[in-house]
Amino acid sequence: MLITRRSFLKYCAAASAALGLNPTDLWAVEQATGRPEAPSVLWLQGSGCSGCSISFLNYISPSDPKDAADVLIRSVSLAYHPTLSAGAGQTVVDEVKRADNFILLVEGGVPTAFGGHACVPWSDGGKEITFEQAVRDLAGRAKQVVCIGTCASYGGVNAIGGNPAGVKTVREVTGGSTLHVPGCPPHPNWIVSTLVSVLQGKNIPVDDRGRPTSIYGRRIHDECPFEDRGKARSFGINGKCMEDLGCQGPATGAPCAQMKWNNGVNWCVQAGSPCLGCTEPTFPNPAQRRRGRGQGRGPRN
Amino acid sequence: MANLLIVDPVTRLEGHLRVEVTVEAVSGTQQVVEARLGGTSFRGFERLLVGRNPTEASHLTQRICGVCSVPHGVVASMALEAACGAKIPANARILRNVVLAANFMQSHILHFYHLSLLDFAAGPDSPPWTPEWKVDRRIGESDSARLIEHYKTALRVVRQVNEMAAVFAGRQPHSPAFIAGGFTQVPTREAIDQARKHAATIAAFVRSTYIPDVEYIASQYPEYGKLARGNGNLLSFGAFGLDEGKSFFGPGRIVAGGGEVQPLAPKAIGEHIRRSWFADSAPDRHPSEGITQAAYPKEGAYSWLKAPRYDWQPYETGPLARMWIAGRYRKGISVLDRHKARAQETLELVEALPGWLDGLEVGGSVYTAFATPTEGTGAALIEAPRGALGHWLRIAESKIAHYQVITPTCWNASPRDDKDKPGPMEQALVGTPVQDREHPVEVLRVIHAFDPCLACAVHVLRI
Repeated sequence: MLITRRSFLKYCAAASAALGLNPTDLWAVEQATGRPEAPSVLWLQGSGCSGCSISFLNYISPSDPKDAADVLIRSVSLAYHPTLSAGAGQTVVDEVKRADNFILLVEGGVPTAFGGHACVPWSDGGKEITFEQAVRDLAGRAKQVVCIGTCASYGGVNAIGGNPAGVKTVREVTGGSTLHVPGCPPHPNWIVSTLVSVLQGKNIPVDDRGRPTSIYGRRIHDECPFEDRGKARSFGINGKCMEDLGCQGPATGAPCAQMKWNNGVNWCVQAGSPCLGCTEPTFPNPAQRRRGRGQGRGPRN
Repeated sequence: MANLLIVDPVTRLEGHLRVEVTVEAVSGTQQVVEARLGGTSFRGFERLLVGRNPTEASHLTQRICGVCSVPHGVVASMALEAACGAKIPANARILRNVVLAANFMQSHILHFYHLSLLDFAAGPDSPPWTPEWKVDRRIGESDSARLIEHYKTALRVVRQVNEMAAVFAGRQPHSPAFIAGGFTQVPTREAIDQARKHAATIAAFVRSTYIPDVEYIASQYPEYGKLARGNGNLLSFGAFGLDEGKSFFGPGRIVAGGGEVQPLAPKAIGEHIRRSWFADSAPDRHPSEGITQAAYPKEGAYSWLKAPRYDWQPYETGPLARMWIAGRYRKGISVLDRHKARAQETLELVEALPGWLDGLEVGGSVYTAFATPTEGTGAALIEAPRGALGHWLRIAESKIAHYQVITPTCWNASPRDDKDKPGPMEQALVGTPVQDREHPVEVLRVIHAFDPCLACAVHVLRI
């Protein structure tokens, strides 16, 4: 299986070029993920849609015959993922309990209603464990807690409108430090590059929203190729600035315009849609503009 | 209680599912005599949409499910169009069909290789494929290795299917392209050619790998061709509208596993909550009405799913139901038939794709402007990869006043209803033999054949 590590590194070279890592870092990735004492990864899902996991899978299966996706999973030692783990029931619960050197990834918000019984991810020895308990316990033992997606980071769609499930963010529930990889869903590159940096033990500079500045430091609008092409006044007209139709690009930090999505084939504004601002804490409400530019307008289709 | 086995969590599905089965000896074989399925997470989507702009529903409801966001985006757009009386351009109809078909393909391929295969064959010897349940493995080392290579290839194909969808829809999952009135992106020659190329590669994989692998598993586990028949009631809402009222999959029902296709009357749909953690109210409420409140704990309840019923009867929905009702697959109802119908459907959709792409007018209109009414109601029914999906909408003062969704897994994984009749999967589990009580892999095989998506099912939007 070690041949696949080479293709993993090849993949990392491509992914990290976009994110400013250098070949020395890549060597460190191999060292970080390949040595026996490297932390394993536990991926939990709370109140969410599994979309972050699906987005993650989208990247980790590139078109190269040497499937980097599966190498990544292998290299990273994903000790638990509810959608991918082969085992079930007590077998996987024991695996989670056994973990003592791990990074915790949380996808989805934390429902707190009904004493946490709004979400019960598993039972241990017949006793139901709430997601809130699981996150508290595992976050306390993890080397690092990473929130994958806007729901775990900021509440997202699941936390708007007085949701009776009482969805909270991971940070609200644990009170501890969390690293945020928002997006609804986050781009697979953002998930992978952040995880790689965490496994390397690197210091990751973050903005005031807890996001890596290397990924979220630029605003969509500033890099948008349609910014100076005139304003679209109606849907169904492509190649124009979507600001008058409620585009959140001016207030949204993300590299979508440069990086694009799904193997770089397209992205929201190129597809004739406004940016929905999905990497911002305000999502799905209008994003907050910075630098005194006032509030973004809501979608107006 | 020694006869009661609990698997919690059931992994390799979306969302949270717990299963309890009672196992007893029947005619000398240890088998399931009763099953209960519990959706163990309450999404509480109920109030999210109320008070919001009706045009936001196609974006917000996609967040119900990251695997099948596309049908939510499409059907939410259709429900608002129904409320407005809006008509969409032919280009928009075709683009929705193309992206929805891609969504079916990625969901089905992901389901077979990444969610189901490990019930039959061993995965690689490292996490997350270990620790696993080593029970009843009939596939030898070299065949397992071949299947695991296909597992990896399938990941790449799933990525490619999503790429094909994103060519038109902007990105996957959670595309911004679905809007009431049509679609946001105007088709270009380049995009159509790109999609055509992807479709050819995907079709080759389905023909040369996916379908043969399903047949191979079927040959190794032939008894699953007779297991988990369930109640035989099948339901489809129909999908992929073609020209002038025709559709690729028509709506309809099959009652008790046979006979003619029966018509579908949406009025006959009702939801039961006797065994669900919701406050009791009138029985069998139609989704367009009703007020329901979460109630935990509640005597006798065991699931966050409600129990949708058609004319008070449980119905199975999904690829097998859809293919059966369309007359495209009628070999039987079992674990293996569910897998075979799903694979066959994948092939038929990818083969239909080039013809649909031919119908697109390059540079042609994709959107018709419309006015959202201040008051109104709208409903739309469609098929998602996992089966029948409905959205019901009411608008008041130009805002969403009521929104309800019934997802496919609500039908399939529903708990017992007001007459204590089990849901389709609960019924299908009865009679499943169990070899190892610590590791009831047979139960997983039956559950996975339905491809349950609990992320979808456990919210039930009802206000």
